[in-house]
Amino acid sequence: MSLIQVKDLYKIYQMGNTEVRALDGVSVTIEKNEYVSIMGPSGSGKSTLMNLLGCLDTPTSGEFFMDGINVATMGDDELAHIRNKKIGFVFQTFNLLPKSTSLRNVELPLIYNGEIKAADRRDMAIRALTRVNLGDRVSHKPNELSGGQRQRVAVARALVNNPAIILADEPTGNLDSKTGEEIMVLFDELHKQGNTIILVTHEEHIAAHASRVVRLLDGKIAVDEATHRGKK
Amino acid sequence: MKSFFWENLRIALSELWGHKTRSILTGTGIVIGIIAVSLMSTLINGVDGLFEESMKFLGRGNLYVEKWPWFGDEDWWTLRNRPRIELDMAEAIKERSQYAMVVAAERGRSANLSYKELSAENIYIHGVTANYPEVSTVDVEYGRFFTESEDRTGAQVVLLGSEVAKTLFPQGNPVDKMIFAGSKRFRVIGVLAEMGKFMGAFSNDTQVIIPLATFNKIFHGPWGRRSITVKVPEHLVEEAKEELRGVVRVLRGLKPEEKDNFAINQQNAFRQSYQGIKLAIGGTGMIITALSLLVGGIGIANIMFVSVKERTREIGVRKALGATRSQIQGQFLIEAMVITASGGLVGLIISTLISMAISKFLFPATMSFGVAFMAIALSATVGLFAGLAPARKGAKLDPIEALRYE
Repeated sequence: MSLIQVKDLYKIYQMGNTEVRALDGVSVTIEKNEYVSIMGPSGSGKSTLMNLLGCLDTPTSGEFFMDGINVATMGDDELAHIRNKKIGFVFQTFNLLPKSTSLRNVELPLIYNGEIKAADRRDMAIRALTRVNLGDRVSHKPNELSGGQRQRVAVARALVNNPAIILADEPTGNLDSKTGEEIMVLFDELHKQGNTIILVTHEEHIAAHASRVVRLLDGKIAVDEATHRGKK
Repeated sequence: MKSFFWENLRIALSELWGHKTRSILTGTGIVIGIIAVSLMSTLINGVDGLFEESMKFLGRGNLYVEKWPWFGDEDWWTLRNRPRIELDMAEAIKERSQYAMVVAAERGRSANLSYKELSAENIYIHGVTANYPEVSTVDVEYGRFFTESEDRTGAQVVLLGSEVAKTLFPQGNPVDKMIFAGSKRFRVIGVLAEMGKFMGAFSNDTQVIIPLATFNKIFHGPWGRRSITVKVPEHLVEEAKEELRGVVRVLRGLKPEEKDNFAINQQNAFRQSYQGIKLAIGGTGMIITALSLLVGGIGIANIMFVSVKERTREIGVRKALGATRSQIQGQFLIEAMVITASGGLVGLIISTLISMAISKFLFPATMSFGVAFMAIALSATVGLFAGLAPARKGAKLDPIEALRYE
């Protein structure tokens, strides 16, 4: 079974008398260890799809299986558990807790996991930080780190729970192009190591890192094709 | 679940540490409330102890026949015009009363004492019958009490209260020394053991005791306290009181329609009026406590709403990383409870210090473990209630909205 199976997904908002179809019948399948970028202009439903894939939201109708689990009809707390165990988020604005050290930030998903002992959490967090080359920045707080370092802490946090997918929303949007490129190299490595990565971006050269690109327009999938890199 | 508690506690402590001034200001209401409640209960406990200690001076089975009632709202002029208590009624009472075990009579007034160049002023001279030790808590530390024959003959002998003995005889044994009360010479035959104060105010140790007959011989005139103490079995004190009333009425020759022209006092009168005072103190304390905890709680709820609002994005991040509603709710509840419990702790420390000061300078008042426990539990409960609405608000936030919040 595919890692993500989405069929006829609709997300409809009622704005007064008008109906806004943010997603208008989207079907997509993503396999394990795929590297997919989702593109589209603003208002295309790109963010809505990302929120649904990230289990932050539920669809109005349609099927959504993640790792064989039906996510479409889950309640708040069940979704929280799925997010905790299956998804690693990387945000455009990093979203680190400003008063906590890198270690504490990376530990956070493990704390909400609830089944991992404090000593193990620490080890796992240090390992994740080492994987993003921040083994020496464990006790720094976000404001003591550069933008690129902050985003790498965020990537470590996304990795630490061994999630089924890493979901990155414009991960280079707040970085200069050189640092952005470093982060993309990091994603490429993670992909090579067997992770499944979904990248939401509006920049072609960023999307080009993926092997497949899904383009949305008006809530529908307009294009779903292999990238230049994917064709190789 | 345990790990969330510690995690939440850790978050709460670092949040509060990060907003020190805010936390202190917020917790102040609780501090005041807890000071009010714990100090009030400590004071009541202390006054209780003091009261019980004082009540020992008035035996439970003692009835005091006197002109003035100890408490009551009878017309002052009526009371004023009552005849003096004839102390020679004592013998008649002893004969006629079924319940009376001991009947002692006493008078009192103050006078100045002197021994050589040392003097003690305004000392309460207590003229009592020889059976007085049986109806009171006086205890002879050294020397002896006077005998019945010394009382009958009006011997000029005196027993000194412990303070008086210290004043007139800073060193050396007073027994067999001669002291002056006014112009009369008295031989000291004993010193009383220390008794302490009655209700923390009137010292029983600054009195001297002489035989009643001697008192009558020396001090003339209508002034001073006169009282007949009738000791009856403790469990029959109410019946005995009624009987005694009848006996005294007959001795006074009162007609059935006439009102009593004397009072029969007992410990209970003190108890009743003390209970009233205690309720008033306790009630005031409860109102102050409730108000300050209420106001403090509202302040905390308010600041928690602010905190939830400020940390909307943090809540979004935590939710995205897998925090459930109850985990977020727990985080803010614990934060509110940490503020109030710390406020409670500070309040407790302050009131412990105050009660230590009271113990040292006024009367024994120690904070009991129960009071301390109650104060902390109460303050944590205030936090629980104050934090509930803000915590729920935070827990219900939509993670997508929260992550977008600037």
